Amino acid sequence: MSDLLVVEDLTVTFPTARGPVDVVRSVSFTLGRDETLGIVGESGSGKSMTSLAVMGLLPKGARASGSVRLDGVELLGRPDRELRRLRGDRMSMIFQDPLSSLNPYYTVGLQIEEVYRAHRGGSGKDARKVAIAALQQVGLPDPERRVDYYPHQFSGGQRQRVMIAMALVCSPELLIADEPTTALDVTVQAQILGLLAGLRKDSGMGLVFITHDLAVISSIATRVLVMRQGEQVEYATAEQVFAEPRHDYTRMLLDSIPRIDDPLDEGVTA
Amino acid sequence: MTLLRATGLTKRFAARGPLGVKAEFTAVDRVSFDVGPGETLAVVGESGSGKSTTARMIAKLMDPTEGSLEFDGEDVTRAKGAALARFRAGVQVVFQDPFSSLNPRHTVERILTAPLVYQGIAPNGSRRAHAKELMERVGLNPDHSLRYPAQFSGGQAQRIGIARALAVNPKLVICDEAVSALDVSVQAQVIELLRRLQRESGFSFVFIAHDLAVVRQIAHRVAVMSKGRIVELGDTAQVFGDPRDEYTRTLLAAVPRINPEWDRRRRERVQA
Repeated sequence: MSDLLVVEDLTVTFPTARGPVDVVRSVSFTLGRDETLGIVGESGSGKSMTSLAVMGLLPKGARASGSVRLDGVELLGRPDRELRRLRGDRMSMIFQDPLSSLNPYYTVGLQIEEVYRAHRGGSGKDARKVAIAALQQVGLPDPERRVDYYPHQFSGGQRQRVMIAMALVCSPELLIADEPTTALDVTVQAQILGLLAGLRKDSGMGLVFITHDLAVISSIATRVLVMRQGEQVEYATAEQVFAEPRHDYTRMLLDSIPRIDDPLDEGVTA
Repeated sequence: MTLLRATGLTKRFAARGPLGVKAEFTAVDRVSFDVGPGETLAVVGESGSGKSTTARMIAKLMDPTEGSLEFDGEDVTRAKGAALARFRAGVQVVFQDPFSSLNPRHTVERILTAPLVYQGIAPNGSRRAHAKELMERVGLNPDHSLRYPAQFSGGQAQRIGIARALAVNPKLVICDEAVSALDVSVQAQVIELLRRLQRESGFSFVFIAHDLAVVRQIAHRVAVMSKGRIVELGDTAQVFGDPRDEYTRTLLAAVPRINPEWDRRRRERVQA
């Protein structure tokens, strides 16, 4: 069986007043089914642009070159009409701020049903059942009632659960999560990470998890891609990146993170 | 000796209950603590815990509904006029987002000398020399004193915010999530800077943050807040090493950690 996602030599270019600028340069990675790839980097590293290029969601004017293949099929250069059929069906994405991804005027049930019916058709009644099941799957209590709630009636962590339910309603093979827990409190973050890991395991989908937080990556990813200023710095198994990093930048990042379990007063002096 | 003492600080906001019945929401509920000279007290908690409201009350950006605040031996709870001006000269705030707290149309020199103007203090030497000296103290190139905030990176802009807080030689600096928005490598440098400045100048910090690992690096004592109350207050070593409160334990357990086995192997290799 081929790899689920193959990205080769991906370059993303933005036109600017001073000429074209590459925000992602020659990035290559593969993601197998049942795998979680963590993409980690600081701000401006190009980690979000890489994932948007995979989804075909780059901002207007940006150009992507190279190759992005989902299950052997090239996605770069495909018309948006075809990509729209894939998004939400075979590949889905969730973002940092669920509130800005949800329409405040519609119940969450309607929004999940809309995704389902756009891809699978069927009656409204069936779609509603699917939406309730999807909310149940992400651990929202009382989904029969919550399906008729509006986004503002949920807490931040619950809204992220709703987004995950919407992303998974068509059982995609690929889920890209861009900083999905960054805006959440640590206790809620732990719950969402557990939920994503469990759902990925049950469904056998591939997960790309983007974050600036190395500790989060360590807890969820099997493979890690470290990016810096649009370039791929290191790409290896999680164990290798954390236990035997090859690059100075990765080492510097690992040295920068404060450890909660280290002895106090470890001689941090100026 | 105590520099700042908060006693029973409470903040209630008007809210609307079911059926439009008037209700009150207690954001901060009888919070008491004190901060000694040269000490760093961290206030940690999740969103909605009341930590930022507490910060605003001790910075006198918001009046408490109940309770009192003493600074440098003086009751400042209802301070106005000259007493409030004295308080402002002694207490400065560093905010989370440097770009929204620095005027984009002012040069760094103007930003750094503004606190002196408000306080009516004459700088040592010229304004320009004063700004350059402050820039040097926070690790910025003093030749850039006529640049605008947008010409700096996030970490550099936060250094400007810190320099502005130090302009009047405060006795207390309140940092409200001052390093939360920074990348990890930059964050480590700014924490380092804050520690050095405190060693050099001996001011106190109240450090408001949600990131427990960061707090542990900088605080002498820690207050853990939940639902408007302090659930635990103690020395950093005790709160992190031997937490007494159930909520503190839950919070510490939830902090993501790098796989300890991998981390140990890497560090052994570094040492070898």
